[in-house]
Amino acid sequence: MRRVAVIGVGVTKFGKHERTCAELFAEAAADAIQDAGVSPRAIQALYYGNVVGGEGERQLHMGPLAASVLGIPTVPTTRFETACATSHAAFRHAVMEIAAGVSDVVLVGGAERVLNLPTDAATEYFAYASDAIFEQPTGITFPGVFALIARAHMAKYGTTEEQMAHVAVKNHRHGALNPKAQFQKEITLEQVMKSAKVADPLKLYDCCPFTDGGAALVVVSEEVARKSRKPVWILSSAAASDSMFLHEKKDLSRVLATERAAQAAYRQGGRGPQDVDVVELHDCFTIAEIVATEGLGFFEPGTGGIAAEKGWTSLGGKLPVNPSGGLKAKGHPIGATGAAQVAEIVIQLRREAGPRQVDGAKVGLVHTLGGNTATVLVSLLSSE
Amino acid sequence: MSKVVTLKAFFEEARSGRLTGIRCGRCGEIAIPPKEFCPACQERAWEPVPLDGHGTIASFTVIRVPPRGRAEEAPYAVAVVKLDEGVSLLGRILDIPLDALKVGMPVRFRPLIRDEQTVVAFGPSQ
Repeated sequence: MRRVAVIGVGVTKFGKHERTCAELFAEAAADAIQDAGVSPRAIQALYYGNVVGGEGERQLHMGPLAASVLGIPTVPTTRFETACATSHAAFRHAVMEIAAGVSDVVLVGGAERVLNLPTDAATEYFAYASDAIFEQPTGITFPGVFALIARAHMAKYGTTEEQMAHVAVKNHRHGALNPKAQFQKEITLEQVMKSAKVADPLKLYDCCPFTDGGAALVVVSEEVARKSRKPVWILSSAAASDSMFLHEKKDLSRVLATERAAQAAYRQGGRGPQDVDVVELHDCFTIAEIVATEGLGFFEPGTGGIAAEKGWTSLGGKLPVNPSGGLKAKGHPIGATGAAQVAEIVIQLRREAGPRQVDGAKVGLVHTLGGNTATVLVSLLSSE
Repeated sequence: MSKVVTLKAFFEEARSGRLTGIRCGRCGEIAIPPKEFCPACQERAWEPVPLDGHGTIASFTVIRVPPRGRAEEAPYAVAVVKLDEGVSLLGRILDIPLDALKVGMPVRFRPLIRDEQTVVAFGPSQ
């Protein structure tokens, strides 16, 4: 298999936008192409991610639309959807297409727009990523799914609501350093603990926001990468699944797909958790960051909450997690999130992250989780 | 010969108060239908098996920000219940005070019927 690199990244400001998903993606993609220093004509394929555009914009056939708005309408294109892991799945397929020698330059990314919708409609559409027959009729929501995980983790390990709140405080502190973040404001532990209940034990500040935004990456072969400014190399990109059904999860306090995807990514990349310098992981809810830091092998099962409380995952800590602010503060435009996470790691490994730079970062890990923990992608990237 | 329990059949039975599982004719694994291959041994030899509906709460949440159309029902609890046969089901909690809910609490299946829709639900064990 051929070596693969990312040579261009583009991310819109995250927050509320008055533009369609295709427009948001196209802005990010144009930025990524210019960052890569390649001609739009060099793009040989577009893998586009979007989740609820069918419901929110009454729009299908989104790949050609995104390519048309970008101005490369003849490029072969496919839309991806794996709930919140959508554009990380698209990224993995772009990596495979280049590794296999089919293409040399692939554009990948995604966009989402939901802040124009009423909150209850957006909550309903996101719940479509849970099973429609057994689960949606119970009234379960996305925060509800992670509340079930939180309660199980608390019952098994004694994880506390305060420990979860530390994740929110930390990610807001990081987000305040990111000019693209939806929330660039620090918050206090007390604010988190006193925020309104959403799905017990999760409160408003345990939850990432609804977000509009787009993100894009230019993924290329080694031959193309060698001519670029600062290529960041992909060591591995792995995917794993678990049963879609909440009733078939073997252990609600763990995300088994994270553990499987991480093991595959470490094995394929010839690295282990001890080699990772910086992490962007899927903190859709504060408990999700705690469980992910355990499942990725950074901390023992049951100690992810302690790690957050002790500041080990802060910028300046032993393993900085979500220097971008994470989904919690940077925002979570679900179809764009995976690509935006990869973009942050590329920026970190290029040493271009400014005040949120992780000193000496050489190896970065990206973790993206889709739906009710049924899809997980883990990629390892390196500056060398 | 595998006997398939369809979703339609599962929910028709559930509407009448009966839970139906499937048991692997090779390894004895019990699962919630529908399913073709046994996830444990990959055999395709399911037999329907009645589940008695008793179980304990494995985890639960109280939904306070509901999806569209559920505003009048909130707050309400949803739980993952581990049934005595070893399989689990997600269900709405009925007739148990929200502040009394605990992991490990015994509960019993009952259907929540909303017009044409049947929803898995659990109420007090007694």
